[in-house]
Amino acid sequence: MSAFRTIDELDAALRAVDYLPDRGLSTALFLALALEKPLLLEGEAGVGKTEAAKSLATAMGARLIRLQCYEGLDVAHAVYEWNYPRQLLHIRAAQEGTVSEDELFGPAYLIRRPLLEAIDSDEPVVLLIDEIDRADEEFEAFLLEVLSDFQITIPELGTIKARRRPAVILTSNRTRELHDALKRRALFHWIGHPSIEREIEIVKVRVPEAADRLAIEAAAFVRELRGLDLAKPPGVAETIDWTMALHALGRQEIDAEVVQQTLGSILKYREDIEAVRDETLQGLVDKARAAAPQ
Amino acid sequence: MAGNALLKHVVTFGRVLREAGLEVGPGRLTDALRALDNVDLSRQEDVYFSLRQTLVSRQDELALFDRAFMAWFLRAPVLPPARVANDPQAIQRATDLLVDRSDPDGEDGEGDPLELGASGHELLKEKDFADMTPDEFRRVRRLMAALAERRPRRASRRRTPSARGDRLDIRRLIRHSLRTGGDPVDRPLRARKQVPRKLVILCDVSGSMDAYARALILFLHATVGSGPGVEAFAFGTRLSRLTPELGTRDPAAALEKCTEAVTDWGSGTRIGASLKEFNDLYGRRAMSRGAIVVVVSDGWERQDPELVGREMARLARAAYAVVWVNPLKGNPEYQPLAGGMRAALPFVDRFLPGHNLRSLEELATMLACIKRRHAA
Repeated sequence: MSAFRTIDELDAALRAVDYLPDRGLSTALFLALALEKPLLLEGEAGVGKTEAAKSLATAMGARLIRLQCYEGLDVAHAVYEWNYPRQLLHIRAAQEGTVSEDELFGPAYLIRRPLLEAIDSDEPVVLLIDEIDRADEEFEAFLLEVLSDFQITIPELGTIKARRRPAVILTSNRTRELHDALKRRALFHWIGHPSIEREIEIVKVRVPEAADRLAIEAAAFVRELRGLDLAKPPGVAETIDWTMALHALGRQEIDAEVVQQTLGSILKYREDIEAVRDETLQGLVDKARAAAPQ
Repeated sequence: MAGNALLKHVVTFGRVLREAGLEVGPGRLTDALRALDNVDLSRQEDVYFSLRQTLVSRQDELALFDRAFMAWFLRAPVLPPARVANDPQAIQRATDLLVDRSDPDGEDGEGDPLELGASGHELLKEKDFADMTPDEFRRVRRLMAALAERRPRRASRRRTPSARGDRLDIRRLIRHSLRTGGDPVDRPLRARKQVPRKLVILCDVSGSMDAYARALILFLHATVGSGPGVEAFAFGTRLSRLTPELGTRDPAAALEKCTEAVTDWGSGTRIGASLKEFNDLYGRRAMSRGAIVVVVSDGWERQDPELVGREMARLARAAYAVVWVNPLKGNPEYQPLAGGMRAALPFVDRFLPGHNLRSLEELATMLACIKRRHAA
């Protein structure tokens, strides 16, 4: 059922929609489709986990259904909910006659949430379950059930079984360990920071209006930052944002002054910004500038 | 399907991984074979990722996997992972404590172990851990399990049906109102569920804490066993996570593993560096966010007190509350003069002794009702 016959095909399709995966990620996405298994993506913030799912959907011509997780996420927000106001109106409208339960709990009064949408869809779907580590354990257990049978039971309506399995991508920032059972069910891929060449490539694709030299220097500077001992090292997302900011300021290259002014778009903690101020900063800028061809 | 030779190869590789400590069940091996069936076997990179993505499910196992892959598929010579020699005496001591060799029908085997009255218990509670005999220790172990039950709680965002709730349960309301022609006669409610608050315990097991560390490891074991949401770490010259080791049912095996993990049992202390390691590795993943963090240490930093202050500040910003337990505080003449201790105190919400069972009891009571940081 896979939309792609080889890893290379999938790789090319992702590149065509401006997402540049490395071989490991392409393999992971390819296997998830080929084996019809959920894929768990982990990695530091800003390495492109969510983006990978979105791009896969575009590349496949599939519909992206996203479920953002949070603590307390329950069936009513993840799967389905009954439309209470409409039900009440219906009971009121039928003042004289009696209302049967079957009438009231039928498809017309059902609000479909992401999981039900994904299971009950006839078109191809990429289901993105984002930041699963933020949901609580009760929800994880429920999800496990859905992901093993690809079916959902609504007591009033019966069991709805997927006619075609959605491609499922889960992301986690590892704020807590996920349950082993869930991990066993999924393929696992760890996304690290990209190599410098790839990061330059990514920046050029995402911020095509920026000067080549700026893209190279920005990527090289962020790479230098990752080598420091920071509370929160910047991800690719930060490199992209920063390059956009520098370009918006009309810069063709970086210097200590402009880096100083825009440091807030790469580093999000006060102590990190302070650690990079002054003497360290000039050295890093010099190194980054050396990366670009003179 | 994959060829017979490949099957054999993968199954053996699975065994290699299992020996290295990875959990590789038959389900995973089947996935690995199915994955290999779908990729070009002549591309080493694709074979590597196919195996890795099907056989490994944790980032911290990647290095182990890489080593095994190198050794097995690339036939590269590999050095076994370095193992630092443990202090065999410390292990023996600690194991002795956890393996309860006393008669299970012993004199204190029944009733609520925390219930006062038995004067023996009273005395035991006041006794400094450093002065206890192995026999007294065994009795203390039971009392500790009861202490650990009192976990701090917080309101979850999840709601459950409750007579004393603060939100209408609309689904039930509709259903009930069917009987009364759409008029809501009774009002079913939902209330926020109470769940245990995250608890992170960082326990100093360096030389200066030796006499107390064994008691505190017992306390850690009991606490981790009290339910989900507890994370335990031991530190000395570096930090190591103990939760998986302490989570097992068999305390003897748990302690053996645990002492293996804390390779620096009985050596010097680097509190600042260890806190930093915690903040970098686990704090960044929000383990300390909203948690009650308990640091158990005498505050003897050998290297850099300033670093202790800096990392405590980071810790305190993320945590719900920070508690410092210092066994030396049990001595009435004690003054927090040690450099590390002084640097840490401004960021500590509660400062308690932890030298005997009574003080651990105080700790448990305090944890159960502690309020948001700086409210103290």
